[in-house]
Amino acid sequence: MISANAYLGSYNYSEVARSVFVAIAASYAALDLTGRVTAARGRVRLAWLSGGATALGLGIWAMHFKGMLAFRLPLSVEYHWPTVLASLGVAMLTSAVALYVASRDKMGPVRALAGSVIMGSGIASVHYIGMASMRLPAITRFSPMLVAFSILLAILFSLAALLLAFDLREDTKWTVPRRLGSAVVMGGAVSAMHYTGMAAVSFIPGPPPDLSQAVSISPVGDNGVVIVTLIVILAAITTSSVDRRADAEVRRLNQGLEQRVAERTLQLEAINQALRKEIAERERAEEALRRSDERLQLVIDTLPALVWSKLPDGSADFLNQRFQEYTGLSLAEGLGWDWMRNAFHPDDRLEEEWRAAFAAGEPFEKEARLRRADGAYRWFLLRAAPLRDERGNVVKWYGTTTDIEDRKRAEEALQEAQDKIAHVTRVQAMGELAAAIAHEVNQPLTALVTNANFCLRELARAAPNLGELREAIAEIVSDGTRASAVISRIRALLMKRAPDRVELDINEVIQEVAILVRNEAARSRISLLTDLAADLRIRGDRVQLQQVLINLIMNSIDAMRTLTDRPRQLLIKSAKHADGVLIQVQDSGPGIDPGHADRIFEPFFTTKPEGVGMGLSISRSIVESHGGRLRVIAGSGGALFEFTLPTHIDGAS
Amino acid sequence: MTVAAPIVFVVDDDPPVRRAIKRLIGSVGLQVELFGSALEFLASKRPDAPSCLVLDIRLPGMSGLDCQRELAEANVRLPIIFITAHGDIPMTVRAMKVGAVEFLTKPFRDQDLLDAIQVALERDRARHQEEAEIATLRTHLESLTQREREVLPLVVSGLLNKQIAGEIGTSETTVKVHRSRLMRKMGADSLAELVRLAGRIGIPSTKP
Repeated sequence: MISANAYLGSYNYSEVARSVFVAIAASYAALDLTGRVTAARGRVRLAWLSGGATALGLGIWAMHFKGMLAFRLPLSVEYHWPTVLASLGVAMLTSAVALYVASRDKMGPVRALAGSVIMGSGIASVHYIGMASMRLPAITRFSPMLVAFSILLAILFSLAALLLAFDLREDTKWTVPRRLGSAVVMGGAVSAMHYTGMAAVSFIPGPPPDLSQAVSISPVGDNGVVIVTLIVILAAITTSSVDRRADAEVRRLNQGLEQRVAERTLQLEAINQALRKEIAERERAEEALRRSDERLQLVIDTLPALVWSKLPDGSADFLNQRFQEYTGLSLAEGLGWDWMRNAFHPDDRLEEEWRAAFAAGEPFEKEARLRRADGAYRWFLLRAAPLRDERGNVVKWYGTTTDIEDRKRAEEALQEAQDKIAHVTRVQAMGELAAAIAHEVNQPLTALVTNANFCLRELARAAPNLGELREAIAEIVSDGTRASAVISRIRALLMKRAPDRVELDINEVIQEVAILVRNEAARSRISLLTDLAADLRIRGDRVQLQQVLINLIMNSIDAMRTLTDRPRQLLIKSAKHADGVLIQVQDSGPGIDPGHADRIFEPFFTTKPEGVGMGLSISRSIVESHGGRLRVIAGSGGALFEFTLPTHIDGAS
Repeated sequence: MTVAAPIVFVVDDDPPVRRAIKRLIGSVGLQVELFGSALEFLASKRPDAPSCLVLDIRLPGMSGLDCQRELAEANVRLPIIFITAHGDIPMTVRAMKVGAVEFLTKPFRDQDLLDAIQVALERDRARHQEEAEIATLRTHLESLTQREREVLPLVVSGLLNKQIAGEIGTSETTVKVHRSRLMRKMGADSLAELVRLAGRIGIPSTKP
C-alpha cells in the first residue's frame, strides 16, 4: 500500500522500452545459448556455460538496472556500487543454474520445478538486491503482497523460460522465429516481474543516506551499461551463431565423411565377403583334391593287380601296396633291376626280354611266374607301356602285373580235357576202322567157308562133280589170299599204336589208306583217284598220318553222299614242295562254307549231324606235331585240304 | 494145279561170295538166281514159283534193309534171309520185325543157311497153296446165283430154314433147295465145312 506521504515516482517510458528490449535480447541469447551448451561437451560446454551465464546474467541485471533508472523520483538517487556488483553476481549465478538445468539431457518435472524456483528466486534476488543498492534520502517500504506476487511471477516465468529453452534448444527449421517469439514472451515476463517488484515499493521521505561508496549514475553511464550489455549479448549471439554454423558445417562434413566411411565399409565388407567365399571355395577344392588323391590311392592299392612305375633309367619310383605285399619287397628293394633276377622263374626268361623291350622303348607283354613272399610261384601277365613327351622321349614307364594263375590252371585243364577227347575220338575212329576191317575180312572168309562146305558136301556124294570141286577149291585159295592181304593191312594199322617216328614213304601211307577206304567210297559211288609223285620220304608216325588221311577222306565221302548233279570224285595227290612234301585231298562236293572256313579247325566245331567236331582239330595237331601245316584252300570247287610235312634227310635223326 | 520148281534169289555185292553161295544152294538141288545189288534184284522179273531171298545188308546203293521195306510196300510177301558181315542187335530186331525168316552173320554155317532156305521155301509154298485154294473158292462163289449168295451168309450164321425163309420172304421149301445147291457148288460136305470155307473167303456170319 502506498502511504500517503510517499514520494511519487514516474517512469521515463523510453527508458522502460529500452529495458524491455534488453530483457528480450537477453532472453533470446539465453534460448540460443542453451542450444550451444547442450551441443557442447566437456570444457567447451563449461566455456559456453560461463559465457552464456555472463551474457544472460548481464542482460538480466542490465534490464533491472535500466528498469530502476527508468523510475524517476523527485530525489537524487545514488547507488552503492558493491551492492550493484553483488546483484550482477547473483544474476550471473542464477543464469548459470538456468542454463545448466535447461541444457541437461533430461528435464523431469522435479528438476524443472527446482530449477525454476532457484531461477525465480535468483531473479527476484537480483531485483531486490539492486533496489537495496539505492542510496536516497527516503525510507523504502515494501508491500509484502506485491513482493510475494513478484517472486511467484519470477518463479512461474522461470518455469516457462526453462521449458521453452529446453524445448527450443535443438536446431530445426523454425527454431529462429520460434526463439524470437519465445524471447519476446520471456523478455516481457521478466519485465513484468520487474515492474511488479517496482510497484511493491514505496519511498517515504527519510534522513539522508550514507553515501560512502555510492555513485550517481549519469545518463552517459546509464546508456553505456545498456550498450555494453547489448554488445556482450550480441557477441554471445554472434559467437553462438558462428559456432552453430561451424558446428553444422562440421556436422555436414562429418555426415559426408560418415557416409563415405559407411560406403567404404560396405565395399570393404563386400570385398571381405568375396575373399571369404574364395577362401572357402579354395578350401573346398583342396579338400576335393585331397579326397580325389585318397580315392586314387585307394583304387591303385585295391586294384587286383601289381601296379608300378619306372623312370627312364630303369629305377622304380612307385610300387603299389599289393606289389609290396605280394613280393614282400619294400619300395627300396623293389627299385632297379636286381630283384627281378630272383623274383621271376628262371625258365620264363622274363628279365632279358623285358630289358630288350625297355631298351627299345616298346610296349611289353609277357606271361611269367612271379615268386610270392612265401616262395610259391604264380603265373602273372606283365604289361608295360612307356609314356613319351612331345619329342618322343620316354618320360616314364607304367605297368601292371596281373595274377593269371587261375586262368592258366583252367587252360591246362582244358588242354587236358581236349587231349582226353582226342584220345576218345581216336579210339572211336579205331572202332569204326575195326568195323570196316571186319567187313573186309569177313567177305573173303564167308566165300571161303561156304566154298569149303560145298566141297565137303560134294565129296560126301556117291559121284562128286570133280569140275565143280576144282573150281571151288581154286576160289578157296583166292579168298584165303584176299583175307590175308586185308589182315596185313590191319596189322600195319594196329600193330603200331604208340606214336613212333620212323622213316616213311608218304605214298605208301596214302595207298594203304586208299585200300581201306576204297570199299566205303565205292559204296557211295565215289571214284577214288590218286596222283602221287615219286620218292617222297618223310619221318613220321604211320598210324597218325593214316588217321589224318582217313579223316580228310571220310569227310569228303560224307560231303559227297548227297551229290547228284556231278560226278563224285575224290583225288589224293602228293608232290614235292618248298616245305618238303605236300599232300592234298580234294573232292567234288559242295565245298567249305566260307563262313566256317576259319572255324572248322576249332575243337567241337562240326557241320555233321552226328559229328563230334574233333577230327580236323586232331588232324591239325598231328600234322603240326610232325612240323607241318594243315589248311583248307578256298575257292577250289569242292573242298580242298592240304598239308605239308618236312622232308626226311638221311642221317638226320 | 501144278506147282513150279522153287527158286532162291541171292543178292550180294561181293562176286566170290555170290558164287560160293550159289554153289552151296545148288548142291541141294535148288535153282539159284544171283544179283549184285538190291536195285538189280527189284528190277528183275520174278517167276511165279515158291521162292525166297538171301539178302546182304551192306550193299552199294540201296541197303538190304531198304530193299526189304521196298518189297513190303509193293506187297511182295517174299521170305527173306539176311546175311551180314557184322550185324548189331538193333539191326537184327528191325529186320525180324518186318518179317525176316533168319538173320545170319558171315561167315555162316552152311547148314544154317540151307535150313533157313528150307523154312523160307516151305512158308512160301504154303502161301502159294493158300492163295491157290482161295482162288478156287472164289471161283465157286462166283458160280452161285444171286439168290444163293443171299442165302449163304444166313446159313453160315446158323439160321434155321424157316427163319431164313422169313428173312428173305420166301417159302421154307425154296430155302431148302437153295441150301442144298450152294453146299454142292461150294464143295462143302457139311454145314461145319461150309462155315470154314466161307470164313476163308471172308464171308462173315450175319448173326452173333
